[in-house]
Amino acid sequence: MVEQTPLQKAYFAGIDIGSTMTKAVVIDAEGKMLSAIKGPTGPEHRHLANEVMKQALEQAKLKLEEIVYIIATGYGRFNVPFADEQVTELSCHARGVYSLFPGVRTAIDIGGQDAKCFKVNEGKLVDFIMNDKCAAGTGRFLELTASSLGIRLDDLGKLSLQATSPVEISNMCTIFAQQEVVMHLSQGVKIEDIIAGLHHALAERVAALARRLGIEPDVVLTGGVAKNIGMVQAMSQSLGCSLLVPEEPLLTGALGAALLAKDRVTKLVAQGKPLEARQRRLERATFYS
Amino acid sequence: MTAKGLARVQEIYQDRSRRAKELQSQGKKVIGYPCVYVPLELLTALDVIPYRIYGEMREPVTEADRVLPASFCPIMRSCLDCALKGKHNFLNGMVALHASDPQEKTARIWQSYTTLPYFHFIDMPGTVLPEAVTYFTSQLKGFVTTLESLAGRKLPADSLRKAIEAHNQQRTLVQSLFHLTESSPPLVSGTEIVQVVKAVMSLPVDEGNQLLTEVIDEVKERKDKPPSKRARLLLWGSTTDNADVMAVLESNACVVFAEDCGGYRPYRGSVKLTSEPLNALADYYLNEITCARTFRQTTTSATQKDYLKDLQSRYGYLKRIIADWKVDGVVLLLVRYCDPFAFEVPAVRDYLASISVPSTYIEYDYTEGSLAPMRTRIEAFLETIG
Repeated sequence: MVEQTPLQKAYFAGIDIGSTMTKAVVIDAEGKMLSAIKGPTGPEHRHLANEVMKQALEQAKLKLEEIVYIIATGYGRFNVPFADEQVTELSCHARGVYSLFPGVRTAIDIGGQDAKCFKVNEGKLVDFIMNDKCAAGTGRFLELTASSLGIRLDDLGKLSLQATSPVEISNMCTIFAQQEVVMHLSQGVKIEDIIAGLHHALAERVAALARRLGIEPDVVLTGGVAKNIGMVQAMSQSLGCSLLVPEEPLLTGALGAALLAKDRVTKLVAQGKPLEARQRRLERATFYS
Repeated sequence: MTAKGLARVQEIYQDRSRRAKELQSQGKKVIGYPCVYVPLELLTALDVIPYRIYGEMREPVTEADRVLPASFCPIMRSCLDCALKGKHNFLNGMVALHASDPQEKTARIWQSYTTLPYFHFIDMPGTVLPEAVTYFTSQLKGFVTTLESLAGRKLPADSLRKAIEAHNQQRTLVQSLFHLTESSPPLVSGTEIVQVVKAVMSLPVDEGNQLLTEVIDEVKERKDKPPSKRARLLLWGSTTDNADVMAVLESNACVVFAEDCGGYRPYRGSVKLTSEPLNALADYYLNEITCARTFRQTTTSATQKDYLKDLQSRYGYLKRIIADWKVDGVVLLLVRYCDPFAFEVPAVRDYLASISVPSTYIEYDYTEGSLAPMRTRIEAFLETIG
């Protein structure tokens, strides 16, 4: 049996604290995903990175000491005291998406708080554009409208496929769009047609953002919104091209963070640096340090 | 007044109006101005203290909502909001000009809703045509007339000359300060420079020059230099008036050059000393201050446009700066709804691309809440160039 080098026995982790969901991924030296945890970020998210990491370690049957390098990403990336490095979610998504779809050149991530479009070359972030501080063009837009329609978020996609004549939603302000929804409801429009209209409006908004950056195939769609089949179809229609969607579109950021961790260490080892994890403890982040 | 250099800068930055109020208690008059296009030499020559009016990013806008639309320059909204809250009541007056439409409109409202004893409005032309310089000169004559009645005396020619010299010296000093960021690591950080410029714009010119001299001497000798970071950036924008914004940009990079009104732009070049000082001032302010609000065209009579030549004539000066300051990337930072600058963004980025300099465009809404998204954008940009 061939003796494994320390690098071949190393493990890496990525933790992505988004506005809505916190995600953690642990990989081995081959880049194989050993565990993937998703949980709601919630108001306490900044304290709970340790809990999510603990679950990821349990699932991977690993001890914290076995993780050589941890990269934190997402809006909460500065509140992960046990991480070795913080990298923006843009670079992490670029790396994660590339590992799943090596031909990717453009990626669109629609999360709970923002939408971002980015150009990727060989897994590296080349250019990016993000929407501004507003719910329009984000997952929150769908969350809010779903709740006002009394429908589960997960059911939006399936329902929208039954639309026969989607309505036009002209207002992209989340609040005004809800008023339009109420108006359509009062006129007896089918819920399916309203949902399809909302998807179309959101897709147009994000597509406009992507067009400012320039769209180059292959195009990948990620983020929680990519789990909505109606949105995937609407985005594809607005962009005028087919879209690749990962099996787990929520995890590309955390996966990319873990892969970047592996890349960092591989490079350091190649430079002759010793392979060792720093001393770390899983504890709640505190803001009073 | 015991603190000197950067410590004194800190003092003034924290409490900008203190010195102006002290001088008022000694009988001096203090005039506010919201834009660096106002020729301060005219105030200085009549012993009137110019005091730059800034917005306050951390102060929520409440009063200005009564009189200004929400989708309007956040800086002017904030400036007026502070005025309506009485924060500028100590001023003896104000001078505004038509630097942009929001400033012109806000000035009218300012004048109507506050009770400053002196208010002057300068109609600033929007182009650099020779006729525009002539017109601007005539506007400055009108400004001198109202200033003279405020000061209660005529403007002596020799004091105008001295004032021009003093302000030219200030320009030279700020230019020298910026040369101290050419080294790697820079001797002074972009965040410190924002504070220095803001302090200088809160003081009479001689005190500002004294302060600049102290700061330059201090940072040349300093042991606690700002550290080297992952990139050297040039900032291009309208104005940066809050050191916290610069600190976000500098969290992982050094902003070595600020091409904006909180940095180098108001201090470029110098006013010519001629026998026609008002004309020289008009010429300087219109031509040397490279604000996006002024229309510049390569050949004024041309009926067709050579885009690359046009870009070269409008932004060619940046190339030298980028080389001398060893700039790795450019951040175009704008406050939302800043139309004059937003219109320039694609052209500036085209020019930078033509000389192979990476750039990114960041917009913020002049609130504290915009700092975290700004940080993500600037870091992602650094990751693309790093």
